[in-house]
Amino acid sequence: MPKPRRTAKPRARRSPRVSHLAHRQRALLRLSTGIAGAHDEAGIYDAVVNGLHDEALGYNFLALFVLDPATQERVMHSSVGWSGDPNLRVAPGAGLSARAIADGKLHYTPDVTRERNYVASLSSGSEVDVPLKVDGVMVGVLVVESTEPNAFDAEDFDILTAAMDQAGIALARVGLLAEERRRADEHAALFDSMTALAGDLELSRVLQVVLDRAVQLLNSTGGEVAIFDAQTRELVVSASANIGKDSTGTRLKIGEGAMGHVARTLEPIIIPSYHEWMGQSVQYADWTVHSVMAAPLLIGKRLVGAIAQIHSDPKRVFDGEDLRLLNLFAPQIAVAIENARLYTESQRQKQYFSELVGNSPVAIVTLDTNKTVRSCNPAFERLFGYTQEEATGQILDDLITTEATRLQAEEYTREALDRPIAGIGQRRRKDGTLVDVEVLGVPVIVDGEHVGPMALYHDITELLRARQDAEAANRAKSQFLANMSHELRTPLNAILGYAELVREEAEDRGLNEFTPDLTRIASAGRHLLTLINDVLDLSKIEAGKIELVAASFPVRRVIDEVSATVEPLVARKNNTFSVRCREEIGSMHSDETRIRQVLFNLLSNASKFTERGTIGLEVTRAGDEMLFAVSDTGIGMTPDQQAKLFEAFVQADASITSKYGGTGLGLAISRRLCRLMGGDVVVDSVLGKGTTFTVRLPITAPAAGAD
Amino acid sequence: MTRILLVEDNEMNRDMLSRRLIRKGFEVDMAFDGKAGVERAKAGAYDLILMDMSLPEIDGWEATRQLRAFPETKTVPIIALTAHAMAGDREKALEAGCNDYDTKPIELDRLLGKMSALLPAKPA
Repeated sequence: MPKPRRTAKPRARRSPRVSHLAHRQRALLRLSTGIAGAHDEAGIYDAVVNGLHDEALGYNFLALFVLDPATQERVMHSSVGWSGDPNLRVAPGAGLSARAIADGKLHYTPDVTRERNYVASLSSGSEVDVPLKVDGVMVGVLVVESTEPNAFDAEDFDILTAAMDQAGIALARVGLLAEERRRADEHAALFDSMTALAGDLELSRVLQVVLDRAVQLLNSTGGEVAIFDAQTRELVVSASANIGKDSTGTRLKIGEGAMGHVARTLEPIIIPSYHEWMGQSVQYADWTVHSVMAAPLLIGKRLVGAIAQIHSDPKRVFDGEDLRLLNLFAPQIAVAIENARLYTESQRQKQYFSELVGNSPVAIVTLDTNKTVRSCNPAFERLFGYTQEEATGQILDDLITTEATRLQAEEYTREALDRPIAGIGQRRRKDGTLVDVEVLGVPVIVDGEHVGPMALYHDITELLRARQDAEAANRAKSQFLANMSHELRTPLNAILGYAELVREEAEDRGLNEFTPDLTRIASAGRHLLTLINDVLDLSKIEAGKIELVAASFPVRRVIDEVSATVEPLVARKNNTFSVRCREEIGSMHSDETRIRQVLFNLLSNASKFTERGTIGLEVTRAGDEMLFAVSDTGIGMTPDQQAKLFEAFVQADASITSKYGGTGLGLAISRRLCRLMGGDVVVDSVLGKGTTFTVRLPITAPAAGAD
Repeated sequence: MTRILLVEDNEMNRDMLSRRLIRKGFEVDMAFDGKAGVERAKAGAYDLILMDMSLPEIDGWEATRQLRAFPETKTVPIIALTAHAMAGDREKALEAGCNDYDTKPIELDRLLGKMSALLPAKPA
C-alpha cells in the first residue's frame, strides 16, 4: 500500500461536550440531507463521508469501503482526508476494518500504533470501523480515524452506527430504484429492438441492433446471433458483437459450441468456464471467452437460430437473472428472423412475378374495379404505344378501343371482373393504328376480395396474316391442281380416243395381233385418267367447288349396285365378299354419287390390301345416321399409319405406292366427301389382322353442301 | 342417217370423235369455233349438236343461247362437252339451253347413251 501524503489538518484540541453534541447533530443532519438527495449508491457513499466529516469531532479521515462480492476485497468508494488511490483495494483479512467485516460489529481501536494489523497509511491515533449492511447483508465498512489516540467514545459509536443504519436503508432504497430503472432500461431496450425489427427488415442489421442492445443490457462483453439454415442444418453466425473478432459467417454444426448445443437441446445453457466445457467448438478455441450463456431462438418448437452472450472477464459468470433477461430477447429475435425469412421469401416471389410480368412478351395490364389501369408491363407499352405513366389511372377501354370494338371490349372487361374470358378482337394503338389481338381476362382475387381484372393481349397480326397467307396458298394450290388436271385431260382425251379408234379399226381389218397392245394403251390411259380425276376431285373439294347433289334414294339399291361393281375386284385376290344390308334399311336424302364413290373407294382399297381373306360391307342405322362399315382381313396398319391415313398424298408407306398403286388421295377424298355430307369416316385397324373403315352419314344431308 | 354437228376447236379431239361417230353410222359435220357452229347449225337442220364449251370467237354457252333464240334450231338437242368438271359447269350448260352434258375424255358408250336418249327412236 502506498504511503499517501496526509491531508488532514492537525487535530485541534477536543471541544467541550456541549459543543460536541451540536456538532454531532449537525453532522447527522448533513448526512441525512445528503443521503436524501442521493440518487445512487455513489451519492450515498459521498453523503456519508462528507456528512460525517467534522474536524471538531475528531473525524479527520473517513473512508467508505464496499465489498467486491467476487473477490471479497474492500474497495474504497468515497473518502475524505485521503489523497491516495481513490479506488484503493484492501485484500480480505488485511487491515483493522477486516474485523468489522468479519463479525459485522463496530470496532474501536484507541491507539492504532499498538496494533500490528494496522496498515500504516495515515498518521492516525485512533480508529472506528463500522460495518455497512443492506437488508442484513454485509456490503462494506466505514473507517473513521482521528489523528489523536483515544479520540472516540460511546456517543461517537452511536452516531456512527446510526449513520450506517441510515446509509443501509438508503442503499436498499437506491437498489430498488436501480432495479426499477433496470427494468425500465429493459423495456426501453426491448422497445428499441422491436422498433428496429418493425422499421428495418434487413435482417443482419436488425440482428446487430438487437444483439448490441442485449450486450448493453446484460452488461456482457459481447455476443453472437446465428440463423439456422434448414437446408444445411447449420447455424450461421449473422451478428457478432465484441467477441474478439468478427465471427459473422461462421458456420456451426448442430451440437457444436454453445449455440450448437442449445440448437440441439432447445434449452438455454449457462457455461461458467467455456474453455473447460466439453462442448466447446474449435472455432472458438483461440478466443478470449470465459463464461458463456446461450439460448435457442424458436418459433413455436421450430428452431430458427441461437443467441450467445460471453464474458471475457474471468471474474464474471452469468447467472439466472442474466438468463431471464436473455429469454426476454430470444423470442423477439426469433420473430425478427422469421419475419425476415418470410419477407425475403415474399420479396423473392414478388420479384419473381415482377420479372415474369416485366419480361413477358405478352402485354399485361391490371385494372381496379373501376376499370382504370393500375399497372401495365413493357410489352403492353410496346404493343399499344402508351407508357405506364400515360396509361395508369385511365379507363382501359377509353385508351385502346375503337368505335367498332368498344362494346365488345367493355363486355370483356365487365365479365373479367368475375370470371375468366377469352376472345379475339381488334384494338387501337396510341397512334390510331389497329392491331389484332387475342384477349385473355381474369379476375384478380386477393384474400377473397376482387381487386379488379388483369388482361393479357397477344398480338396476333402475324398469326392472322400467316393464316390468310396459308389459306391463299392453299387456294392457289387447289386452283393450280384444277388447271393442271384440266390441261392433262385434253391430250389424254386424244390418246384414249385414238387408242380406241385404232383398236376398232384394227379389229375391223382383221389385224387382231394389235388388239392386246392397243388395249394396254387404253387401260393405262384410263388409269391415268382416274389419277387425274382424283387430284381434280380433291382440289375441287379444297377449293370449295365440289357440287353435292342431294336426292332421296333407297340405300339397299345403292349397296347392291356398288357390290356388283366391286365384286370382280374382290374376287381378283381370292377374297370372299360378305354384304349385310337389310331391305328395310330405308332411304337416305344425300348425294348418291358421292356415297358410291366413297364406298367404291373403301372397298377397292380393302380388296387391294387383302388376299384370300374376307371383305365385308355392313350397313346399319343409328338414330339419324346411316353407318357403312367396310372391313377386311388384310395387312392392317400401325397407329402411326392410321393417324396420317386421311391426309392427302399420304399412303401408310411409300413402298405401298409401288406395290399397290394408287394416288394416296382416295381416303383423303373420301373423308372430305363424308364431311361435306355432314358425316365422317373413321378407321380401326390392327396390324396384320385387318382394317375396318366406318362411314357415318346423316340420313338427311345438311342443305348447304357447297356453293 | 342421223346428222350430227360437232363444234370443237381442238383438231385431234374433233378428228378422233368424228371418226368414231362415223364408224358408228352417224353423218358428222364439223365447225371449228362458236360463230361457225351457229352458222352451220342454222343452215344444216341437224338431228343433234355436240358443243364444246371453250371455243374461240363465241364460246359454247353463248353459241347455245343464240341457237335457242332461232326458231330453226330452238329444239335441236345439244349436248355440252367440256373438260371442265368444276362445280357449276353442268348447271351453267343446262341454263344456257343444253339438253345434257358430258365431260371429256369422252367415253364413247356413255356419250352414245346420252345421244340416243335425246334422238328420236330411229336406226342410227
